[in-house]
Amino acid sequence: MTNLVPLVIIILLAVSILLGSRRLAQREGPALRPLAGYTALKGQVGRAIESASQLHISLGRASLTGAASATSVAALAVLDRLAEEGCANDTPPITTVGDGTLLPLAENNLRHAAEYANSSTGIPPGTARFIASRNDAFAYAAGVASVIQQEKILGSIMVGHFGQELAIVAEVAARNQVQQIIGSDDPLALAAAAPVTDNLMIGEEMLAAPAYMQGKPAQLASLQLQDIVRILISLTILGLAIYRFAGG
Amino acid sequence: MLKRGIPLIIAISFGGLTLISLLFSITEISSLILEWASFLAAVALLLGAINLLSVHTHRLAAHRPVGGQNIYSAALVISMLVVFGLGMTDLIGLTNNSVGVVFNWIQAPLEAALASLLAFFLLLSGIRLLQRQRTIASILFLATAVLILLSNAFIASPILPQSISSLFQQLRDLIQSIIVTSGIRGILIGVALGAITLSIRLLLGLERPYNK
Repeated sequence: MTNLVPLVIIILLAVSILLGSRRLAQREGPALRPLAGYTALKGQVGRAIESASQLHISLGRASLTGAASATSVAALAVLDRLAEEGCANDTPPITTVGDGTLLPLAENNLRHAAEYANSSTGIPPGTARFIASRNDAFAYAAGVASVIQQEKILGSIMVGHFGQELAIVAEVAARNQVQQIIGSDDPLALAAAAPVTDNLMIGEEMLAAPAYMQGKPAQLASLQLQDIVRILISLTILGLAIYRFAGG
Repeated sequence: MLKRGIPLIIAISFGGLTLISLLFSITEISSLILEWASFLAAVALLLGAINLLSVHTHRLAAHRPVGGQNIYSAALVISMLVVFGLGMTDLIGLTNNSVGVVFNWIQAPLEAALASLLAFFLLLSGIRLLQRQRTIASILFLATAVLILLSNAFIASPILPQSISSLFQQLRDLIQSIIVTSGIRGILIGVALGAITLSIRLLLGLERPYNK
């Protein structure tokens, strides 16, 4: 019986997403509220091309087989957009990953973007780079920092699962005057990122990347559902707090 | 059509099967799928290591002579080959746990040294933030960081009177247990909601990062 409760909740959420998606497919989707991180993403590729430099995107170190895999899916949506824009101008972003499972996906996304854009140069070898396994957080940070330091990078986009090691990368990027956009699900990483950039994607904002980058009806319906559930949870927490405060 | 359909069917069926086996504690199925996933992850890690070696070998070949920034690539390639060699000698019994020795004596201390620098990096970032923009938020950020650092030092110090130490402790606990914890929980609830809806879209085949 207890196992049925989560199943019922999942089914209810799935049906809500399907219905919402069907409704949104028939009419114009809702306007998404502007988020600093996504606003800053616009025009990054153009600026990089103008200054004859490249963009760097790091997809974090969450395995696709682990609990934080959702962050990697969101990061891949950001890579998709940057790769499409970059390959259209023969400037694909340097992509670093901190888990083996992300490498084939990153390479696939880049290759697909190059094919779609009919890129004359294709994807140069070493555009997608594995840095270190997810268990070696500081080795990963040191590797990404060295990429930022050694390559001609205009902007660094770090979206995915990072921990406090992000402070090292952010500091190196700030010292090299590289514009940064940072998104993570870890509050410690966000605390490290807050002093160096205003372009933050905080937790769920980063997970909304597919909706902001692709804007499909199912993704927009998910965001609406999240808003409704969040309000319900907030009201429940508030109600319970008042109940306890009143001596219940 | 087939090229897109087959990965989709595999993803939905395995996702659904894993969900059902986890919900109803059918450990045989969930363990089997987890084993397959771990095997694939191990193969992907091997591909990653080959990619790392290939990127740095290319760098060495493209920019000669070795020196300046290339020295890092040379160090990486040599280290990888040495550790691989030690792994092989461990395997055939010529050496005993030499990979472990390399990890304990080189990698672990290096990572610990980087970790110990984090507090300074954060403080430096806070100062830079204050230089960049003098807002209430930036002043609060730096003041809180300094306060927490000082209170940790004062609590451990025997020089200060007990009353002042306990005052700092109360202040630190107030910041950490109420302000910080509530903020972190807010972020984590949002992350959980985002992850749930994204996972449901993956299970329904509405999100297909694998299908290009």
